[in-house]
This record gives sequence, C-alpha cells and structure tokens, in this order.
Amino acid sequence: MNLKTIVKFIKKEPLAFIALLIVLSYIIIALFAPIIATHDPLRVKTSMNVDGEKIYAPYPPSKMHLFGTDQLGRDLFSRIVFGVRVSLFVGIVARGLSMLLGVFLGLITGFSGGIIDNIIMRITDVFMSIPAILLAMIVTLIFSPSLTSVILAIVVVGWPDVARLVRSQVLSIKNNEYVEAVEALGAKKIRIILKHILPNCMGIIIVSFSMGIPGAVMYEAGLSFFGLGIQPPSPSLGSIISNGRGYMMFAPWYSILPGIVLALFVLSVNILGDTVIDYFDPSYK
Amino acid sequence: MFNYILKRFLFLIPILIGLSLLIFIFLYLIPGDVARMIAGPSASKEVVDSITNEMGLNRPLPVQYFEFLTNFLTGDFGHSYQSGKAIIDEIPIVFKRTLQLTIIVQIISFIIGGIMGIISAVWRKSIWDRLIMAISVSGLSLPLFWSALVIQLLFSIYLGWLPPSGYRSGFDLYIILPTLTLVLPNSGMLARVTRSAVIDVMNNDYIRTAKSKGLSNFWVITKHIVRNALIPMITMTGTNLSRMMGGVIMIEIIFTWPGMGKYVYDALLAKDFPALQTATMLIASLVIVINLFVDLTYGLIDPRIRYHN
Repeated sequence: MNLKTIVKFIKKEPLAFIALLIVLSYIIIALFAPIIATHDPLRVKTSMNVDGEKIYAPYPPSKMHLFGTDQLGRDLFSRIVFGVRVSLFVGIVARGLSMLLGVFLGLITGFSGGIIDNIIMRITDVFMSIPAILLAMIVTLIFSPSLTSVILAIVVVGWPDVARLVRSQVLSIKNNEYVEAVEALGAKKIRIILKHILPNCMGIIIVSFSMGIPGAVMYEAGLSFFGLGIQPPSPSLGSIISNGRGYMMFAPWYSILPGIVLALFVLSVNILGDTVIDYFDPSYK
Repeated sequence: MFNYILKRFLFLIPILIGLSLLIFIFLYLIPGDVARMIAGPSASKEVVDSITNEMGLNRPLPVQYFEFLTNFLTGDFGHSYQSGKAIIDEIPIVFKRTLQLTIIVQIISFIIGGIMGIISAVWRKSIWDRLIMAISVSGLSLPLFWSALVIQLLFSIYLGWLPPSGYRSGFDLYIILPTLTLVLPNSGMLARVTRSAVIDVMNNDYIRTAKSKGLSNFWVITKHIVRNALIPMITMTGTNLSRMMGGVIMIEIIFTWPGMGKYVYDALLAKDFPALQTATMLIASLVIVINLFVDLTYGLIDPRIRYHN
C-alpha cells in the first residue's frame, strides 16, 4: 500500500478513516496505559482542600483530574485508561478463544456433514436459544466472578455463531472442483481441511474475529455492570459505569464518561466493519 | 409441506431435551449448598441433612435430571425459594409484563426502523441515507445499560418528566423510558435490514416494469417494495429474538420492570434454582418455538421459498 492509495481511501471514506484512527488510538491507550494515565488508578483520596475549603470526593472534572474522580477520589481518567486496557484485553482474548472453538467445530461439521454435523448444529441451536447475557451470567456464577470467568462466559456465548459462519463457508468451498481434485488424488482429509479449506476461510475468519471484539467488550462491560464481571479494585469500563450509578444525581460525569469511551470504541469498529463489508459486496458500489 | 412441518416439529424434541440438559448441568455446577441456603446459616447440620434428604439432593444426578424434566413437562415447576410461592402462579404475571414491553418496543421499532430503512434505500447515497445509517449504527453501538442510565438522568432527574424506574399495571408512564432505551438499538438494526432488503428488491426486473408502466414512485414503494422487504424484517425479528430478549433482561433489571428478565435475574442472584431453571427454560423454549414459526411462515409470505431444500 502506497501513499496514493491511502489518500484515495481517505477521500472516499473519510468516516472510516476517522474510525480507523480512533481504533488505533484505543490500541495505543491499552498498550501504554501506565504511561498515558496521569495518576495511580488505585490511589484513594477522599477529601482535598480547594481554596482553603475542604471538599469531598467525587470531585468534578478539573485541570488536576481531567475526567473528575470517583467516590473514593481515584482519578477517573486514569481508571478509564486502565479500564480500556482491561476491556480490550478481555475482548481480544475472549473473542480469540471463541474463534478457535468455533472455527474448529465449523470446519469439522462443514467438512464431515452427516450425524456429527447434525448433532453439533443442534447444540448451537440450544446455546443460541438462551439469551446471551443470561447464559453469560450463569457461567460467571459457576466459576465465581473474575477476569477468567468473564472470558469463559464470553467464549460460551460466542462460539456458536462462529461455528455456523465457518460451516456455511466450508460448505460452499467443499463443492469446488479443486477440492474434488485433491480428494481424487488421494489427499488425507486433515490435509484437505488445513491446506485447502482453512486458507479459503481466512478472510471471513479475520472479519468475524475483529467484528466480534466490540461484542465481547460489551458483554464484559455488561457483566461487570451487573456485578458479575471483573471485581474491584481493578477498573473495567463496565464496573466504572456501574459504580457511578449511585452518584448519577450529583456526579453525572462518573458514569457518562466511561460510557462514551466504550460506545466510541464499539461505534468505530462497527463503522470500519460496515466499510469492509460494503467494499466486498458488489451490489453496494 | 405437511411432512416438512411435522419434521420440523419433531426436531424440536432433541433440541428441547438438549436445552434442559444444558440448563440442568450449568445450574448444577453453580456452587452453593441449596439445603444450607434454605435452612439458613444458623441451622444445625441435622436440619440441613434432613432438608437434603427431603429434596432428594443426594440422589444420583441422572435421577435428579429425569425428575426435573418430567416435572417441567407436566407443568410442576415447584416453589420459589425466595417467595415460597408456586412458580407456575408467578410466571404468567411476570411474563405478561415482559410481553407488554416487548410488543410495544417491537411495534415502534418496526415503524421507525422500516421508514428509516426505506428512505435510506430509495434515496441511496444521498445525505439522508448517510445520516440515517449514521444514526442507526450509533444506536446499535450504545451499551444498553449505559444508555438506560443516561436516559434516566435526562428525562427523570434533569427534566423531571417521567418516573426513573418502576412499574404500575396498565399502560402507565413507567413504560416510556424502558421502551425508548430498547427502541434505539432495535430500530437501528431494523433500519439496516430494511435498507438492504429494499435495495435488493429494487434491483429486480418487476420493479423496473412497474416504474416503466408509469407507476409513481410512491406506489412502487408501497405496493411492491414494502411487501417484499417485509420478509427479511420478520426474519430478522425471529433470528434476533434471543438477542432482543437479552436486551429486555438488562432493561428490566435497570428500570426495575418486574417482568421475566427481572425475575430470572433475581433468581440468579439469590440462587433460587427452581425459579431460575424454569424461567430460563421457558425463555429459551419460547425463542426456539418462535424461530420455528418464523421459519414456517416464511413460506406462507413468499411462495418462492421451497420447503424441500
């Protein structure tokens, strides 16, 4: 990719370009959270003196605390920065694991067909019939709320979609002549799957992985919001929003700011995804 | 046709058995001594043991599962640990409230999303199209629990127009805010589906024929396009039902709307297993059955869809 194509892309899809910049900056924030944070996200300071007057936390946004503080006087900007790190980590790891399981089962069911296909597809039906957030809540209770249980919950909720998507892709590839040709040449099944089918699914797998990350981040935030996710004092975007709920009346920034940070990330990835999908769909040009 | 419908109904059996197995295993895995919970923290070991015996909690798992299944199928849901009432009496009450909320949300989302989608598709690439698509993708991207808080803050704390949360029977002001919160993402989703459906329809030859016959744009849209675009809209409602129920659960919790979602969440937190497993089973079965009906009605709306495939 040279400079010219980049400039062309920016001119044609300015919104997608902005979205791309935003997503990149989230990744940078997550990677360099300790450098970007202005305060220690865990340091408590319940009262401070302003102009000789003693005021109590939560403090409103000011020069010292860009996004204000929470009820314990912990700097919200720094907590949100670390929250982005935790949320992105959970989102990427959980989505990655969902993909592993989903791709594995999708390849098997799509390629083998028959009874195995039928059984696994009925299992996906079962998993998809329970509302995801409810299923995720039940899973977190099994392992008691923590980072690991949140990741597990998102995987349990996320794999069926992936398995179905990959399966349908495998089904359409399987009937191609070149697959029949290598089969006729006597190639082993595992080799056909790994060498011929999987590479042809890679495009859809990558798109599904990246488009699934905001969903995973949302589930993490949702679980943390309902107290079933990442436990205090470690900050996550959902738990900060949840903690701020009780202070909505006189400290609205407390819940609103982390929510905007979360929504902006999800929105940007969605816009990018739409652009990618439009790009590959000829009827939208 | 009849055979197909029968086959689809027979397929329900293994799925529902699988569902009950999944729920039973998952709830069994949740740690916590049920007998101890019922007896209370100060009860003696003998009391706890006798409750364990009485409830059959020390029997082998397959036996317990089989009992759960037969009880469920015969409508014997047991009693809630929390309220002590028969679950079969509680469910219809909470279910009605959820239905009330869901139907209103669906109707409004259908109207708003449909109109937005049609405008977008007909004036594709216009400023309106871009604006509407931007609004709908934003609606989809808002975390529901957060937009609920912001809406509560705006309409009840700052403006003081509406009650922040709660429920009163009948159509009271209480329903407005939860509805508004759920309509945002739902109508956004429907607008996108409608748009792509209408675009697909508009590329068809018969639309060109209708236009060349001299039919005005308005009539082409209402007579041909809307009818054909309805199929994907209804399908989406069916396939997204599970997801939508998830949203309803979250909204019921935040707005303390005492429907199925709130019921299942309260049961979950209190480890009220009979209530939890019954409610989860019912919600999931409902999703499965409605999906089946959406699949079947499909063919009624559009005769081109062949059942044999």
